[in-house]
Amino acid sequence: MLKTLFPTLGRFRLAVQIVMLLVTVYGSNLVGYYMAEKISNALPALSCAYDQQNGAYCVLIPTQHQLHHRVGEAIVKAQQFTLQMVVPLFFTLLTFFAFFFVLSKAFCGWVCPLGTLQELIGKLGRRLNLPLRRFDNGNVGKVRPVKWLMVVILVLLLPLLTGLGVTPHSLGNPYCDICPSRIATTLLTGSTEQLALRSGDGIAFALGAIANTLIGFTLVAAFALRQPFCRICPMLGFNAAFQRLSPLRLVKKEHDKCGKCGICAKACPMDIHEIAREHGAKAYHEDCTLCGRCVEFCPDDGVIQMKWGPLTLFQSNREYYKQRMKGEMPEGTLKPPAASRPAASGAENA
Amino acid sequence: MRSIVNIAATALLALLPLSGWAAERPAMTPGMEHEHRNHDGKEGAGPPGGESRQGMRASREWTRYPLILPVMAPRGERGGNTLDLRNIAADVLDVYAPDGSPEQLRRQVPTIAGGTRVEPVSSKNGNYYWVTAREANEERVSVASTATFFSNPGAAPTALLLQAKHDLEIVPQPLPREHGSYRESEKWKFLLRYQGKPLAGKKLMLETEFGSRIAFTSDADGIATVLFPYDFKAEEPGKGGGHHGGPRRAKFVLAVEHEDGSKHYLTAFNYSYSPDAERGKNLWAGLGFGAFGMLLATPLLRRKKSNGEKSSQ
Repeated sequence: MLKTLFPTLGRFRLAVQIVMLLVTVYGSNLVGYYMAEKISNALPALSCAYDQQNGAYCVLIPTQHQLHHRVGEAIVKAQQFTLQMVVPLFFTLLTFFAFFFVLSKAFCGWVCPLGTLQELIGKLGRRLNLPLRRFDNGNVGKVRPVKWLMVVILVLLLPLLTGLGVTPHSLGNPYCDICPSRIATTLLTGSTEQLALRSGDGIAFALGAIANTLIGFTLVAAFALRQPFCRICPMLGFNAAFQRLSPLRLVKKEHDKCGKCGICAKACPMDIHEIAREHGAKAYHEDCTLCGRCVEFCPDDGVIQMKWGPLTLFQSNREYYKQRMKGEMPEGTLKPPAASRPAASGAENA
Repeated sequence: MRSIVNIAATALLALLPLSGWAAERPAMTPGMEHEHRNHDGKEGAGPPGGESRQGMRASREWTRYPLILPVMAPRGERGGNTLDLRNIAADVLDVYAPDGSPEQLRRQVPTIAGGTRVEPVSSKNGNYYWVTAREANEERVSVASTATFFSNPGAAPTALLLQAKHDLEIVPQPLPREHGSYRESEKWKFLLRYQGKPLAGKKLMLETEFGSRIAFTSDADGIATVLFPYDFKAEEPGKGGGHHGGPRRAKFVLAVEHEDGSKHYLTAFNYSYSPDAERGKNLWAGLGFGAFGMLLATPLLRRKKSNGEKSSQ
C-alpha cells in the first residue's frame, strides 16, 4: 500500500513537504491558536510567527528577541553578565535541539515551507523546460559563507547590539525583517500585510525592501536555480552548527567508482560537489538538507545511506536507481513516458 | 482595489489563499450605533503588558468606565507588569493565572497608588494572566478587567478565559496572540456572561481613547462581534511609534451593564488596539520591490548554451 502511494523516496518526501507546508502555514486551525498550543516556538524551519494561522514558530525569532530583550537589555541594566540573562536563550536552544535531535537537517529538506515552495517552483521550471543553472565547483564556495554571515550578523549580533542600545530598535529582529518566508507564508494566508513596506522609518523600509526583493528574486530564480534562498538561509547555518549532534545523518562509504560518474552531485539541489568525491564526515556537508536525492540517484548498492544512529533508513540501490531514472533525470528534469521516448541514455545505464 | 491587489499577490504564488481575519473597513450594520467624539487630551498609547506611559490621566477624559491600565516599565525591567486603576476604587487586584496550584490560580494583590506590580507566579505557567478589580456596595457592583502578558511559556489562556470569575463578565473569544493585536477595521468576538450564562441581546459599549463610542448587541449565544473603528489620529510630531518601533497602540474599553432586582452591575474590559494593517505601510512600494527582485532573476531564465551553463534539454 505504502509502496503504491510512495514508490520513491522523492514522492514520499514531496508528500511530507506538502503536509508540513499546510501545518507550518495554516496549522493553528489544527494545533491551536495561542503560542502555547503551537508545535513549538523553536522549530528548526522557517515557520513564520507573523503568519497568524501558523502551526509553529521558527527558532530564529525567539533567538533574536532573547538576545535583544533579555541578554542585551539585562547587560545594560545590570552592567554585568549573569546566568539568568541567558537562561531563556538556553531553553529556546534546548527546545530547538529536542526537535533537531530527531530530524536534524531534514527540517530544511522535508519541513521548511520556503524550501517546499522553491522546490515546487523548481519542478514547474523543469516541466516548462526552462534552463537549469548550477553553481559549479569553483563558484559555489563563494555563496556558502553568506549563510554564516546571516547567522552571525542578523540573528546574533544586531539583536544583541540593539538590546545594548547601540543600534536602533528597528534592528531588533533584522533577520525576520528581511526573511522572504515571512512574506511568502503570510501571502499564502491571503494577507498582504507583510508585503507592504512600513513607511516613515528608513531602516524598517530598507529591511522590508530587501525582503521583498529577496522573495521576488527567489520566486523567479527558483524556476532555473534549485533552492536559491536555501543557500544563504541562516536556518541552514543554524542547523549546520548542530548537524554532528543528531543521530540522523548522511553516510557515504568509500567506493572505487566515486568521483567518476558524478550523478549524486548532479542530483544534489544544493550543488554539493563534494558528495561525489568525498566520503565519511566530509561527504555530509554543511549545506546538506538531508533531502536524500543523492542516495536515490547513487547507482551503487549501499554507498550512500541515510542513517539514524545505527538504523539505516534508506540506502542507495542499483535497482531503485534504475527505476528512479525512468521517471526523472538526476537534476530533476522529468522524462517523457516510456512509450514516447527513444532508448535510454548513457546516464541511465551508468 | 485592495482586494484586487490581495488576489493578485496571492495568485502570484499560485496557491490557494485562505482568508485569515480579513480586515474590513468599519461600516454601519444593523444593531450597531456609532458616535464619534473628539478629544484633545490624548497622551501616548500602549498595550497592557507594560508599554503604556505612566500618568495616563487622559483616561478619565475619554471614558467613564473603570479601567486597569498598564504603566510603562523602565527599560530592561522584566518579570512583572505594573497596573494602575482608573474610575474605580478597589483595595486589591484579583490576579488569575492560566495554570498552577489552587493558591496560584487566583491571588489577591493589594493595590498601591500610582501602580500595583503584578508578577507571574512561576516562569512556566503561561503568557496571559487575567486581572480584575471590584468595587461594590448594596446597589452597585463595578468590575474592571484586563489581560496582562508575560513572556512565560506554559498553558494557553482558553480555560482561564472560560472560568467564571464575577457575576457579570466580558470574555474575549479569543485574546490576540503574541505578535498579534486587536486592530482597527477588524472584527473580534466577546462573550457576555451573567452568573456563568450567556447574555443574549445585551448592549456592549466600545469606547476608544480617540473618541469613538459604538454599541454592539450580543447574539443568542451571548457573543458580541466588535468591529474596531478606524479612528487612529495622525501621530504627533516628535512622538515615536509603538513598542520598539512597532505599531502604535491605543486604549479601548468595552463595557456592559445589567440590572438584577435592585442591583446594578457594570463590567468593563480594557486592552489596547493597533492601527489598521495598511496604515503607515505602502503596499505598492512592497509590490514594486518584489517586482524588482523578480526582474533581477529573469536573466536566469534566458536560454543560453555557453560554457559552464547547462540546459535542462
